[in-house]
Amino acid sequence: MAIYLYLDRDTFVHRLHPTVKVVALFVMFWSVYWVDNPIALLPLGLFMLWVAQATGSWRNFYRYRWYFLILIFTTTIVWMFFYRRGTPLINLPFIHVSRTSLVFGLGRGIKLSELLAASVLFLSTTRVEEFTVGLAKLGVSYRVGFAISLAFRLVPLFIDSAMTIVDAQKLRGYDFDSGRLFERMRRYVTVVIPVFMAALRRANNMAMALEARGFGLRNRPTTLIEYPVVGADVLAAMTLFLIAAGHFLIYYTGYGAIAVR
Amino acid sequence: MKTELQTTAEGTITKAALSASEVTFVYHGATVPALRSLSFEQGRGEMIGVMGASGAGKSTLAKCLNRLIPEFEGGEFRGIIVIGKTRLDSLRVCEAAAQVGMVFQDFEAQLFCTSVELEVAFAMEQVGMDRAEMKARLGPALEAVGLAGFEQRDPTSLSGGEKQRLAIASVLALRPSIIVLDEPTTDLDPDGKAEVFDLIAKLRGQGLSLIVIEHESEELLHADRIMLLRQGRIVADGPPAAVMTNFNLLEQCGVHLPGLNRVLHELGIGGHVAEVDAAYEAIVRAFPKLRNSKPAAPVATPTAKVSRSFAAPLVEVVDLTFAYPGGAAALERIGLEIHASDFLAIVGQNGSGKTTLAKHIVGLLQPTAGRVMLEGRDRATLHAAETAREVGYVFQNPDHQISAASVWDEVAFGPRNFGIDAEEVDRRCVEVLDAVALLDARDSDPFLLSKGERQRVAVASVLALRPRLLILDEPTTGLDHREQRRMMALVQELNRNGIAIVMITHTPWLVAEYAKRVVLMRKGHKLFDGAVEDFFAQDEILAHSSFRAPPVTRLARKLGTLALTPQSLVDWIKERA
Repeated sequence: MAIYLYLDRDTFVHRLHPTVKVVALFVMFWSVYWVDNPIALLPLGLFMLWVAQATGSWRNFYRYRWYFLILIFTTTIVWMFFYRRGTPLINLPFIHVSRTSLVFGLGRGIKLSELLAASVLFLSTTRVEEFTVGLAKLGVSYRVGFAISLAFRLVPLFIDSAMTIVDAQKLRGYDFDSGRLFERMRRYVTVVIPVFMAALRRANNMAMALEARGFGLRNRPTTLIEYPVVGADVLAAMTLFLIAAGHFLIYYTGYGAIAVR
Repeated sequence: MKTELQTTAEGTITKAALSASEVTFVYHGATVPALRSLSFEQGRGEMIGVMGASGAGKSTLAKCLNRLIPEFEGGEFRGIIVIGKTRLDSLRVCEAAAQVGMVFQDFEAQLFCTSVELEVAFAMEQVGMDRAEMKARLGPALEAVGLAGFEQRDPTSLSGGEKQRLAIASVLALRPSIIVLDEPTTDLDPDGKAEVFDLIAKLRGQGLSLIVIEHESEELLHADRIMLLRQGRIVADGPPAAVMTNFNLLEQCGVHLPGLNRVLHELGIGGHVAEVDAAYEAIVRAFPKLRNSKPAAPVATPTAKVSRSFAAPLVEVVDLTFAYPGGAAALERIGLEIHASDFLAIVGQNGSGKTTLAKHIVGLLQPTAGRVMLEGRDRATLHAAETAREVGYVFQNPDHQISAASVWDEVAFGPRNFGIDAEEVDRRCVEVLDAVALLDARDSDPFLLSKGERQRVAVASVLALRPRLLILDEPTTGLDHREQRRMMALVQELNRNGIAIVMITHTPWLVAEYAKRVVLMRKGHKLFDGAVEDFFAQDEILAHSSFRAPPVTRLARKLGTLALTPQSLVDWIKERA
């Protein structure tokens, strides 16, 4: 199974300038931030689904299907405990369910799912090298940009390593699966030390290999691939601006908020 | 090799590719120097093989040659290293990259990019090379390592050997005058190993200066010079014919004795040979009676009928097929029996299905079709804990297992999970720590032990559960020769005491000297299952498997027998002659 999300396709999104892709990720996060109402969040969700279709990224959405479902359901349920506004449908000491709390919880779930969807789309269509270039063009230092983009490559490797460590402990009779949720979570603490040690060793080896390949010699390295700005980039940037402005307008006019009932 | 030296006001300038003078290094916090007054020179186009036990200073020396020491790893550095006409102490690590290319053992950790082309360009981008020049250098670099046509491939999709060749291409693109390879083939299968050493031979032919650090002596027999390190000092430096025949010194340094030289030495012929044919000629010259012996034919051992007892098998794999989600079949209709007395080696290329098969036996994977029977019970019906008591699994990387703060707690971890009473846990800990010779280290932090010791802690922690079958995934990777011997002696002793052993390995001499039976895997299929002697006589199967018999076994076959160790071959020759 592929560890990374990037899908090597030749679509108009893949061809966009790296800076436009980084800005697109920011605009998605920005737009989601201003809006709470599930109805107002829908257009952005549909837009992302269209991009997923256009870029052939369904495979990655399928990989994360459980995360999407968990985000929506758990967020909706958790907010029932904490969001106590609106006329109660059920009112118990710890559970306050109103139409408002349900809508609010659903909105939060959709918001988180859209953040995840934006990240999945970004990683499905953007190479880590493009991520570094995009950040550098936006003024982020090359070293910082490289470290951020490298983290995206390392996280799946650490997860892979953690799964091996869990297997190793299971084979010595360690029970990760029985007991209550918090007890089970506590048991995973035994995995932290080996994962941390493995991550440290790998990071150290990688840092040495980077230095030995000239990393850090220049603040602005050259790039093998040329990234010219073309008409499609300008069009995409304008569309992104409209999306960002539109969502701020929805917030500003109050349509993005949830009416308390 | 001595070359002409000139001294100027700026310091020592040499016509050699590299000159090291009185290099000493003490790691931060250490009391004993890792390197002590090392002085040597390397001529242009010369290949130096560096050997020695773990901790002898090999990797420390390699890091000194591109300024990782003292720039990256702190400590006290003394001495002068000159590359061409440049004193290294005037450079940062990233500046030294254009002079000295460095290839590391961990090929995964030195690849950062999403395509082969970008990976090779990475170092060129860092030094600020313009695009046209980068494009001009890309092709030749990939051509040199045999990866032309791979430009758009994702490096993670390459085999181990291809990844390591890609790492070499990425340093070649900067056109350094010296390339240092620090145990570049440790994690590779025989195919990958051969690919890298073929490439090293080719680069050497092109006049590049090479320093190759290796554990396996056979790989360095063609070097111009062998430098032997012990406790941070050079104890021998000369042509392979001089160094690789000094068996006492090699033993003292914990270096694998070259099998062919050892046979010649034991027969009183002496001398140094790098090839089986040369050893054969030397032997038949000394013992003419052996000249016309026929190459040994395969032993008539029926496949999969070795070391069988009439008792029911401990493990029975029946028609096992497995495919990862969305992937092709990783195992196809595998049948296998493992008996209580077995010492089975599973060999095959990376990705051939060795570990996948082992993970089925231990219950980490569930078959797509077929079944695995454990003492007559379908393993799918057993709880993981039940399997764990019968089958122990030692991972390739001991750090994946170790989590406790002391060796004692690490070993006690398994028995405590099974609720075994404290007295019995203590008894088992003493027993297994004694077996792996780590009883004195019972209170040590396992993460501070050497790799060999951590590997033994991992074995002990599994043995404490008293399994009837022990599976070891590459148990000698990263260990020096002395540690390998100690580990294998322990495993052999366990087998004599009634524990069945399954060992996944890429190392031919380990199979020849320790295993009783071999299973060869290729692309998810079982290609061979039989006695070790039979396996090494199957030329056709070996030719398609990438697994080669050790040189001593190949020499034995040429002489007309099927000896697996230097001593057994020597005994046979003496008897015949």
